[in-house]
Amino acid sequence: MTDQQITTDPAKPAQRMRAGGTTVTLMPWILAGLVLLVLPFIFQSNSALTIMNKMSITIIFALAYNMLLGQGGMLSFGHAVYMGVGGFACVHIMNASEFFSMLPLPLLPIFGGLFGMGLAMIVGSFSTRKAGTVFAMISLGVGELIAACSLIFVAFFGGEEGVSGDRTYALPLFGIEFLRQIEVYYLVAFWLMLSAILMFLFSRTPIGRMANAVRDNPERAEFLGYSARWVRFYSFTASGFFAGIAGAMFAINYEILTEENLNLVTSGTILLVTFLGGVGFFFGPIIGAVVFTLVQTVLSLQTDLWAIYAGALFVATVMFFPGGLAGLIMMHGPAAKLGKLHYLVLPYLKTLIPAGIGILGVCALVEMTFHVRHASIGSNEMTLFWTTFDSHSLMPWAVAVAVSVVAFWIMRRNLPELVAAWHQANGVAKDKL
Amino acid sequence: MNAMRDMHIPALQIEGLKKSFGKAEIINGIDLSIGKSERHAIIGPNGAGKSTLFNLITGRFPATSGKISLHGRDLAGMAPYQINRLGLSRSFQITNIFPKMTVFENLRCALLWSKGYRYSFWHLVSKASDLTEGAEAILEQINLTSRRDLPAGVLSYAEQRALEIGITIGGGADVIMLDEPTAGMSNTETDYIVELIRKVTEGKTLIVVEHDMGVVFGLADRISVLVYGTIIATGRPEEVRGNPKVQEAYLGAALEAEH
Repeated sequence: MTDQQITTDPAKPAQRMRAGGTTVTLMPWILAGLVLLVLPFIFQSNSALTIMNKMSITIIFALAYNMLLGQGGMLSFGHAVYMGVGGFACVHIMNASEFFSMLPLPLLPIFGGLFGMGLAMIVGSFSTRKAGTVFAMISLGVGELIAACSLIFVAFFGGEEGVSGDRTYALPLFGIEFLRQIEVYYLVAFWLMLSAILMFLFSRTPIGRMANAVRDNPERAEFLGYSARWVRFYSFTASGFFAGIAGAMFAINYEILTEENLNLVTSGTILLVTFLGGVGFFFGPIIGAVVFTLVQTVLSLQTDLWAIYAGALFVATVMFFPGGLAGLIMMHGPAAKLGKLHYLVLPYLKTLIPAGIGILGVCALVEMTFHVRHASIGSNEMTLFWTTFDSHSLMPWAVAVAVSVVAFWIMRRNLPELVAAWHQANGVAKDKL
Repeated sequence: MNAMRDMHIPALQIEGLKKSFGKAEIINGIDLSIGKSERHAIIGPNGAGKSTLFNLITGRFPATSGKISLHGRDLAGMAPYQINRLGLSRSFQITNIFPKMTVFENLRCALLWSKGYRYSFWHLVSKASDLTEGAEAILEQINLTSRRDLPAGVLSYAEQRALEIGITIGGGADVIMLDEPTAGMSNTETDYIVELIRKVTEGKTLIVVEHDMGVVFGLADRISVLVYGTIIATGRPEEVRGNPKVQEAYLGAALEAEH
């Protein structure tokens, strides 16, 4: 799949530069596939498998969402419904035992995709006329409408308790009945790879390129023979298909779908995940989904306040790194090309370590406030960072404040050094060394 | 299609065209016929309705009344993309490109529809050699080969204008409409762009709105003078220059300023 014309010959800048842009390289995909294969051997516990399945499902959903947000410039506040409806459809297929007993489970996601796509075609037929606020408002309205329907159309959505099924009634494939979590892991991983590759290739097709063009300048695209509306409609439909596949993965993994799979919380979360990872790069949502799932699962075991930290992380991303985590990584591209990344290592350590300690100090204050307000009367002892202390005495508060202030002060003092190193690594300042 | 593009059917025919915005009549009755392979310039003072006329022809605004036909085909009710597919392409007075995409990608997007890729999701653009070769040929024509992989937004103003012309001709349209292609340019840049326009529109029908008299008289086969929404004269450059009505309404002031 690599472009044979890539060359390092400086006499042919046109061919040499072709390495970037829209060519397709194979290496990252092979690596990703290997990682997915090997992961269960490193993290063998059942809870690790649960987290990894959750991650994979979120990645598919976030990538599908970014087909709209990043590539098509459409901000949807109700994308959970396409995943949800795909998932509900799959649970119903599981319950249609005659049909399901003739269907190998690995093919079920195709049906999820088709149902997600079908709904996207219906909604997209009127919501993609315009991008911007109009599209966002329609997506919000439709999302809320369908979430509300879940309590009304009990036959399909199962009301408050949802609908559950049993994946093991499917036609066994090579004797595999998907009873064990590890079998489900590889099924989800397979569909993750397949969907990610297809979504990546989609962004490299004529319609994928025009989705970018319409995002940036719909009017110009119209004067090039393309209807901005149809371009949006096709992106929306494709996004609905892959969201439906994510829904099918959810159905296979959890065997139950509820109103929660349709509501605005889920829609909002996927926006957060995608933005956190970075909408400007294809791999952005992958990072976002991995980080968010870790924060959600690992951090939630440590503290009840994990949502506050996730929210703060999101706000910080929007304010300071609009390119998201992927943008943050890709910022280092020019310095890496110049071979000057090593200039940054020490200044990074000198600012990020104090910054991290400062943030932990603030977190300690938040946790202590929470403990003082919500712990049962008389239980003044709390444990934080492997230390047990009395949250009602002055001492721990003084320590937390002092640590935060000193840490942030050190960070602030070292910041100019980082800025200078940054300029140097990017070849902005004169090279004195 | 070939029969429609017969020699005696004009490339663009405008009959009784009117356009009002509310009570203000911007275009009040234009008749104009532009032949195949003709280079036609539309000049006129500010606010004469030149850009509105462009927007009516290209489907950006609907006409209040009148008829516009391209190669004998009525354009009434068509959206810009439908008109574009019939072989009419335009540039804009304010540079209108895809700033985040590379120069090469801008041109490739311009080629997609005409090369028959339409809304395809089963082709990879990087594998389509006709797209790559086509975009590179245009890059060469507009002398931006060295800028191939830069984001279009970082190009100089003159380079962006050249790119805009490249995008406009990219789709292989045979009627090219340029809206003030030299606006805001230095003399050297203007000479360069005019030469470029001459080169890339060879054999095509060209309709150009211009302010710069030097550009118009050097480039156009025929000139129409638009004043307050009406064409007061149409003819070869020297005829228009000698027309007393035109001198009074528009050229007089400009010519006086020149001498």
